[in-house]
Amino acid sequence: MHLAVLKEEVEAKTAAAKTTAVKTAAAPAQAGAMVRLLTCGSVDDGKSTLIGRLLWDAAGVTEDQRAAIALASHNRAFNGEKIDFSLLLDGLQAEREQGITIDIAWRYFETADRRFVIIDSPGHEQYTRNMATGASHADVAILLVDARHGAKRQTRRHAAICNLVGIKKVMLAVNKMDAVNWSEARFREIDIDFRSIAGSFNFAQVVTIPVAALTGDNVARRSLHMPWYGGPTLLDYLEAVDPEAARVDVPFRMPVQLVIRASDDFRGYAGTVTSGRIVVGDRIVDARSGLGATLRRIATMDGDLATAAKGDAVTLVLDTDVDISRGAVLSEVARRPVNADVIEARLVWLSETPFDPEAGYLLRTATDLTPVTSMSISALVDFETLAAEPAHACAVNDIADCRILLGRATALDLFRDLPLTGNFVLVSAIDGATVAGGVITWAQSGAPAVGDNVLVLDRALLARGLCADLGDSPADTAEFHRRAQEVALLLRSVGVPVLIEI
Amino acid sequence: MTALTSHLKLLEAESIHIFREAAAQFRAPVLLYSIGKDSTVLLHLARKAFWPAKLPFPLLHVDTTWKFRDMIAFRDRTVRAFGLDLIVHTNHEGLARNINPFDHPPSIYTDVMKTVALRQALDAGGFDAAFGGARRDEEASRAKERVFSFRAAGHRWEPRRQRPEMWQLLNGRLGKGETVRVFPLSNWTEGDVWRYIALEKLDVVPLYFAAERPVVMRYGQMIVVDDERMRLEPGERPEMRKVRFRTLGCWPLTAAIDSDASDIDAVVEETLAAKVSERAGRLIDHDQAGAMEMKKREGYF
Repeated sequence: MHLAVLKEEVEAKTAAAKTTAVKTAAAPAQAGAMVRLLTCGSVDDGKSTLIGRLLWDAAGVTEDQRAAIALASHNRAFNGEKIDFSLLLDGLQAEREQGITIDIAWRYFETADRRFVIIDSPGHEQYTRNMATGASHADVAILLVDARHGAKRQTRRHAAICNLVGIKKVMLAVNKMDAVNWSEARFREIDIDFRSIAGSFNFAQVVTIPVAALTGDNVARRSLHMPWYGGPTLLDYLEAVDPEAARVDVPFRMPVQLVIRASDDFRGYAGTVTSGRIVVGDRIVDARSGLGATLRRIATMDGDLATAAKGDAVTLVLDTDVDISRGAVLSEVARRPVNADVIEARLVWLSETPFDPEAGYLLRTATDLTPVTSMSISALVDFETLAAEPAHACAVNDIADCRILLGRATALDLFRDLPLTGNFVLVSAIDGATVAGGVITWAQSGAPAVGDNVLVLDRALLARGLCADLGDSPADTAEFHRRAQEVALLLRSVGVPVLIEI
Repeated sequence: MTALTSHLKLLEAESIHIFREAAAQFRAPVLLYSIGKDSTVLLHLARKAFWPAKLPFPLLHVDTTWKFRDMIAFRDRTVRAFGLDLIVHTNHEGLARNINPFDHPPSIYTDVMKTVALRQALDAGGFDAAFGGARRDEEASRAKERVFSFRAAGHRWEPRRQRPEMWQLLNGRLGKGETVRVFPLSNWTEGDVWRYIALEKLDVVPLYFAAERPVVMRYGQMIVVDDERMRLEPGERPEMRKVRFRTLGCWPLTAAIDSDASDIDAVVEETLAAKVSERAGRLIDHDQAGAMEMKKREGYF
């Protein structure tokens, strides 16, 4: 979106919403009432200071907190007599001692008609996994760069992670404009460079704003030093930005969290609707088993509902007793998820322990946990060029493309269609750690059709030829399974139904 | 359906989602019930999450024996009204050593009667997950915490090693010796809690509403005298003042505020207009710098 358009959006909305804290009991009531905002950028670009400044100027800092911060700032003799705004966010002792941000901090404030959730993320490469955690919860990202340095490798990495987790709106805050003499030329240079970076991604809106966090220029208050800049201040932007482009006609999905049983024969499927809408009387199916039923009740403690839509935590009661448990995805009949046992995905590796093809992993999707039979890396994103380069290994903070074969089929969507049934985390089968977070880019159902033409890959068939060179060692057994899966995959990709029985 | 405004409705749905994920993934969860406003909301959301079934876990109250009498009466009323399964635990070893808030500094008293007591109760019950009503807006180290907050053996929080938590996906698979604290109210603010109590017409401990109460000034804060164990300094006499509480804990360590807010609407209005933070009234948090983080590392909440 161009600045002129955004400016109109800003002017229309700020007329109604001045930057004072709410004084009445009325809560925000319309759509877009909550905006979740990520701040990220490289070390020392001043993220915590920027958000601290925003909270200090706009709302959300109480008097005792102000006094405590003023005192702590004085103790650290930071920046002469100035307030160290970063102390508002760096809540861990190690962070305060080292003057860096280690983990994400969550802060909340509200203006007249919206609730802001600010997720401040660390800039150090070492803590990228915490940044990825923060990014996955955000609707909008503020990427910070130091006006003296412009976009760095870490800026590109952060932009790539924002893109991966599905953020569509990005604002580049060019900070420390005071250090470059409020130079318009420098700002334009960084703006052009960043737009070329952003062009590699799927962002729907990119906005660039020149700011100085320490002095508050263009944060909550328009800068007098940069008359050449006619766009919104950071707060203007935040009050106007639309957190989510409303999509109409999205297929219904509800992953089942648990089955609720109570006296008088009550049996309901509890879950949160992740997309679309459902009405009592609609037909729904369990994508995994293919079993169908009619929706009889949408039960809640506040009474039954006629309809449930995205975001509602409900309990669905069906007209027939179907065998559905946690992990199932209830769907509309027409547009179902893929019942997939092979997927391709892009992921960000979060664990200090690198990817190991021999290690045991589990795929955690919306509510299902599926064993991974085999997994391979095909490419890594190069943070200089942002291109995916062929690779077979991946380690902490890498963004990689991979292929995963599952031990059994599970109901999935593509992330670009339905993010909440198209994302996953990869879990270590050994210690339960979350080792990667990813999005599904391709999924295929390998489930054989019931009929006579199913090819059964059994042990004898494989041992005769393809696997004749393999013995009984664990390594050979693993290789045996890998070859079986690969053959099945190749055959299925040309439409031959295959069943593996080894 | 009640007329929840949209952001409260989003928060409610998120909390219900968290309750269900934890109940589905952990073997033996327990809900830490501390009787205050946050626990009231927590319990209400838990009931919604599993309705019409009963709660699939018990409640645990760590009783220091220094709670306001009104709190204990409220707790027992609540348990009866909803047919709940409540475990009450006191550190009897600490009680035998007469660890109390008058003779011991808040840090020692809290460690023995709250932190150690909580660890004892969790270990005794074999619980692998404990729901708590903590909110990220309460305090700086809480603002850093995950929804599923993993604790190493001995219930230690290791803030530098928190598990990544992406999207709505809550990975509850435990490593050896690990347990979890689950915080369904992570993204609620104090204002949200009160607005929700008003909208859902929830009953809370009467101490949250202004009334004439006997008060003495201590450490520059107003302490309400709740029973005969209060130790008055020479010449000190409780004075009647119209006060209420923003936060409830052990009575000798929880300061009241001057207020005329005697009903829920007035409390909501006062909360949203407040100029000081909620925990300013908690004496235990001011004892040392980074006090909350230290307590959490030792297994508090």
